[in-house]
Amino acid sequence: MNAIEVKNLVKNYKNFQAVKGIDFSVKEGELFAFLGENGAGKSTTINMLCTILSKTSGDVKICGHELGKEDDKIREKIGVVFQTSVLDPKLTVKENLYTRGSYYGLSKKEIAARINEFDESLHIGDILNRRFDKLSGGQKRRVDIVRALIHKPEILFLDEPTTGLDPKTRKEVWDYIMELKNKRHMTIFLTTHYMEETDVADRVVILDHGKILCDDTPAGLKTKYSSRRLLWYTPKSKINDEVMASFTDAEKVTYEGDRYIATLKGDALKFLNDNRDKVTDYELLKGSMDDVFLNLTGRELA
Amino acid sequence: MKGFMGIVKRNLMVYFKDIQAVIFSLLTSIIVFVLYTLFLKGSFVNAINGAMQGLESFIEAGDVEVFANSILLSGIMGSALITVSFATLNTFVRDKETRIAEDVLTTPVSRAKIVTSYFVSSSIASTLMTSFIFTVGLGILSASGRIYLSAADIVKSYGVIALGAVSATAFLMIIMTFFKDTSASAAFFGILSAAAGFVIGAYIPISEFSASVKTICNIFPASHVTVMIRNTLMNGVLSHMNDSIGGVDNGEFVKAMKEVFGFRTEMMGKALSLSASGIYVIAIAAVCIATFVVIYQKTYKRR
Repeated sequence: MNAIEVKNLVKNYKNFQAVKGIDFSVKEGELFAFLGENGAGKSTTINMLCTILSKTSGDVKICGHELGKEDDKIREKIGVVFQTSVLDPKLTVKENLYTRGSYYGLSKKEIAARINEFDESLHIGDILNRRFDKLSGGQKRRVDIVRALIHKPEILFLDEPTTGLDPKTRKEVWDYIMELKNKRHMTIFLTTHYMEETDVADRVVILDHGKILCDDTPAGLKTKYSSRRLLWYTPKSKINDEVMASFTDAEKVTYEGDRYIATLKGDALKFLNDNRDKVTDYELLKGSMDDVFLNLTGRELA
Repeated sequence: MKGFMGIVKRNLMVYFKDIQAVIFSLLTSIIVFVLYTLFLKGSFVNAINGAMQGLESFIEAGDVEVFANSILLSGIMGSALITVSFATLNTFVRDKETRIAEDVLTTPVSRAKIVTSYFVSSSIASTLMTSFIFTVGLGILSASGRIYLSAADIVKSYGVIALGAVSATAFLMIIMTFFKDTSASAAFFGILSAAAGFVIGAYIPISEFSASVKTICNIFPASHVTVMIRNTLMNGVLSHMNDSIGGVDNGEFVKAMKEVFGFRTEMMGKALSLSASGIYVIAIAAVCIATFVVIYQKTYKRR
């Protein structure tokens, strides 16, 4: 069953169309990644789905409820982690979580139980009585996630959740996101600037100038829009034109520094086998989501 | 309702947990107090002494002191009603700036309730802070041994404070719609803090102003509320003074005091009765509430 269904979604501002009739769906329990540059329409779309902005036209159903008509029911089903923390800096973690929980009509007992549940994986027990502005970036992000999940939503929206975090904290946040997906089967709608983060997604949609460019699995996108590359290390003098000509599975070969880089259209094994006396070392690189984005838009993601 | 009360509680916590913001919200009141201590008290006492020439043997110096201190207290309370209301409403602007407002919009609490929560929390904070000031002031006046307030006057004072807080908040809610960020609202707060003391006659009695300036000052409901507070706080001491004089002056001294220290508001050269002031404050509050309901329905809805 689909957790989110979007049909012909349009958002117009006075003299500008931010979202130009997009269609996509997100299955229950899926990790869905939404990619695009700043201004592509990602935030506008996510804000419409989260009931912050109204849609100009189109049909959207979230957990079976119609956007624009059953917004209150939708709000009970969604949790949002914003790009920046949206908790009160002068309040303690506990005060922040209790006030936010009360917005959903939760009792103190229910909120305390929820916090207890999270303590096991997000370790917030020790920081509950600390002021929010005194926490480290990673601690703040952990509390942001708890806040978004305090009312047991079915869909978690993550709007660039790891931007500005150090690698260790990024990993921690991602471990928890994967736990939510794998153990709790939560539907996760993610926007991110980090292309490598989309590798773990079940599906990726790339948005450009308000239109969807592609909608597929990361593997499918890489197959369609990127090529593998062979990097091999060998002195330039050892590779003559004849050797190059024999490498028929290469689309393009360049020499950079101390290595050759070949964009593959076929298999590299035969070439490596035939030239094993000349190749001192090699690397086979799979196509990346960066390549996909570059090939689709002609631009690198900033 | 739980969600609504949750936001009200959160707004109050945001204000009261920020000690710096609390102190700044009372800046005008602090300035009024400092100026009073430095020289305003002297000029008030001089004015009172000037008016009681020939009556010195009837009026005790202690009563003059109570009278002057009560003028101060009404000025501090009147300015607190304005500045505390504004400072708490500033949370509304800050929430828009920091995207906290967007977070609240993703919850099941309706937009109308979200906007109303800011109004209610600001009215509560303003009532609490001004009531606190009044209670402390009352304590100090009692400690001096001379207090001329009946229990009914005290209860009435708290009622006037609540009315003043609601009207000031409703009035400022409309102004708040114009601010997109806290730097703009902070700049306005600077102007408001400076102007508030003059508008309510805390620095200089409004009687010193020209008729047109009086009218402008009295457009603001806070001026009327301050006059209502002044009457409630000081009618007791004035009637005690009048009793002490024993009718020798045909009530001229009390009449002069009421004129000089602004016991009635004036608009277009005409003095308003206290009940007229009360009706004006309630009417302005009602109009402002109706206006901000319309404004916020347009500005706070989903765009």
